[in-house]
Amino acid sequence: MARVIVMDLSRHNTVMVGHDRYFVLDTGGRAELVRDHCPHRGGPLSLARRTPDGRRLSCPWHGTKVGVAAVRRSRLPMVRSGDEALVVLPDGADAPVSVTHREILANLPPDPTHHDEGAEHG
Amino acid sequence: MTVTTTATATTTGSALARYCAQRIFQPVPDVLIAGNPFLRPIGPLGEHDFSVPATEAEFLGSGQLLAGRVLCNAYESDMILLPPAGLASAKDDFDLFYGDEVRALRDRVRPGLERYAFSFLDDAVPAPPVRTLDELQAYFLAEVGGAGAPADASGSNPAVDAAAPVSGTMKAITECRHPEEAAALHLIQLALDALTEASAMARNLGGSYGVEQSELFKIFNDEFGYGVYGAKHSTIFKEMLASVGLRTDLHAYWNFYLTSSLVGVNYFNWLTEDHRGMFRYMAAVTYLEWLFAQGFADTGAMLRAVYGDRVDAKYCDEHAHIDVHHGRMTYENLLLGLARAHGELVIPELVRGIEDTKLLLRLGDADFRAQIAWADALDAHTEAGAALATAAMDDAVTGTLRPGSPFSTGVYDADRLVEVESGEVDVHAWATQNPHRLGTGDVLLVPRGRLHGLKAASPEARVTVRTVERTFDA
Ligand code: FES
Ligand SMILES: [Fe+2]
Ligand SMILES: [Fe+2]
Repeated sequence: MARVIVMDLSRHNTVMVGHDRYFVLDTGGRAELVRDHCPHRGGPLSLARRTPDGRRLSCPWHGTKVGVAAVRRSRLPMVRSGDEALVVLPDGADAPVSVTHREILANLPPDPTHHDEGAEHG
Repeated sequence: MTVTTTATATTTGSALARYCAQRIFQPVPDVLIAGNPFLRPIGPLGEHDFSVPATEAEFLGSGQLLAGRVLCNAYESDMILLPPAGLASAKDDFDLFYGDEVRALRDRVRPGLERYAFSFLDDAVPAPPVRTLDELQAYFLAEVGGAGAPADASGSNPAVDAAAPVSGTMKAITECRHPEEAAALHLIQLALDALTEASAMARNLGGSYGVEQSELFKIFNDEFGYGVYGAKHSTIFKEMLASVGLRTDLHAYWNFYLTSSLVGVNYFNWLTEDHRGMFRYMAAVTYLEWLFAQGFADTGAMLRAVYGDRVDAKYCDEHAHIDVHHGRMTYENLLLGLARAHGELVIPELVRGIEDTKLLLRLGDADFRAQIAWADALDAHTEAGAALATAAMDDAVTGTLRPGSPFSTGVYDADRLVEVESGEVDVHAWATQNPHRLGTGDVLLVPRGRLHGLKAASPEARVTVRTVERTFDA
C-alpha cells in the first residue's frame, strides 16, 4: 500500500525519504516536490540557480543545465489544499521519512552573474 | 614565493643525518616494500651538501633523489596512513613515524631541503610579463593552446578526443621491448600521488578565503567520490593497479619512484604545506586539471594497447570525463577568481605556478623517457659497458653484496661502469619479476641519473663501480 504523508508548505519545503531528498520547486506558479539530485553526479539542484530564461537549473557542482521539465519528471504525486499538501511517497519506500525547511536557491529569480558554462542535460 | 631558511647548514646537516638514521628510513633487504606505509628507505646520504640549491642541470642528481625522499616522508607525516592489514601489523613504526622526535627533526630539515630542491624553479624560467587580469587570461589560453589543448568555442577547455592516436611518451611505452614493465613503471610514478590523491589539495580546504574556497571544495568532493569509498579516485586507481597485477599498498614500489616524480609530487605538497604557496598551487592545479582530461584519455589508450582487455582503466575514463569540468572550474573560479579577488598583486605568483608546472612536466617526461629507454636495453648497455671498460677512470669502489644485504635504489652523478668481479647480480631498473642478471665479468653501463638497484643473485657477489668519461650520447 502506498505511503502518504501530510506536510505544511508554509513551514516545510523538503522531504527526506531514506537517503533521497525532495524539495519544493516552483514550476511556473505551481509547487512541486522534485528530487534534489542532478542527473550528472547527484549535485543538489535545490542549490542551483536558474538560467536567464528561467527554464533550466544550473547545477552548482559542475554547471550542467538541467531543464525544469526534466526535473519535474522526478516529482512525487501531491494534492494541495491551501498550505496543506498530501504527498504520495515512492513505492516500496519503508525508509524513514522526515520533513524540514532548507534554503532553496532554485526558486529565486535567475542569477544576474550567471556565466554560460557547463553541459546541457535534459 | 622564495624559500627561506633560518637553520644553518651544519645544524640542518646533523639533523638530516639523525632523521635518515631512523629505523623506518633505513634500507631493508626487500626490493618491494609490502604492507607498511611507514617504511621509506632514503639511502646513503654520502657527502652531500644540501646548503647549496641544486641547479636545473643537477635536477636528476643523487642530491635531488635523496632530498626528494626525505621531503616526501616529511610531507606525508601530516597525512593519516594506515597499513591495510591493520595497525597491529606496524604499530611501532606508526609510533615512530608520527612521533615527537621524527617530527621535530622533520621540521628542522624541511626548510633547508625545500630551498635545495625548489630554488632552481625561480632561476630556470624568466617570468613572463603578465600583470593584468586580461593578460593572465590571454597568457593561460596561449599556454594550454601551446600544450595541445586550446580552448573550445565557448572559451573553456575542450572535450576529449577519445580516438586520438597514442603519441609521445605513451607511444614510447607501447614501443618498448618490454611494454608491460614500461607501463607499470608509469603507473608506479602515478601511484606516488594517486594512492593519496587530493591529499595535498585537502590542506587548502580549511580556513576562510571566500568563494574560491567553496569552488576548490567542489573539486575535492569529486576527487573523494562524494563520500563513497568505491568512487574515490584513489580507490579506482587501486583497482587499475590490481587489474594488471600490481600491488596496491602505499609505497610498495618506493624504490622505483624516479627523482622527477618525487620532486613533482613534493612540489604540490610544499605549496600546500607552506601557505605562502597557495596562489602558485591554485594556478598549478588549474594548468594540470585543464590538461588532465585528454592526458588520461591518452593514458587509458596506452594501457589498453599494452594490457588489452584485462586492464580496468575506469580511473582514466573518470578523469577523461570529470577533468573536462575541473579544467573549466579551476580556470574560471580559481585562477581567474583569485586574480579578480586579489588583483595584480597575486598575478605574478599565479603565473609562476604555471611556469613551474610546465618545467616540472617537461623534466619529468625526459626523466621517464630516459629511464624506460635504459631499462628496456640493459643487455645493450652491458655490451656497451664491456666496450668501455678500458676507458674507465681509476676511482674504483668495490663492495660485497649478499642476498640479505639492505637493498636500495639510487642514481649516480656521472656515468658509471658496474662490474661484477665474482658471483651474480640482479639489476633492478624498473619493477619486474625478471631483473637483468649480470654474471661474473659482466660490465653494465649506468648513465648518470638512471635509477637502479643491485641485488646479489648468488650467496656472495663482489661489485666494482668506476666512473667513465661521457664521450657518447647515452
Ligand atoms: S552533479 Fe550536477 S553538474 Fe555535476
Ligand atoms: Fe582525480
Ligand atoms: Fe580532477
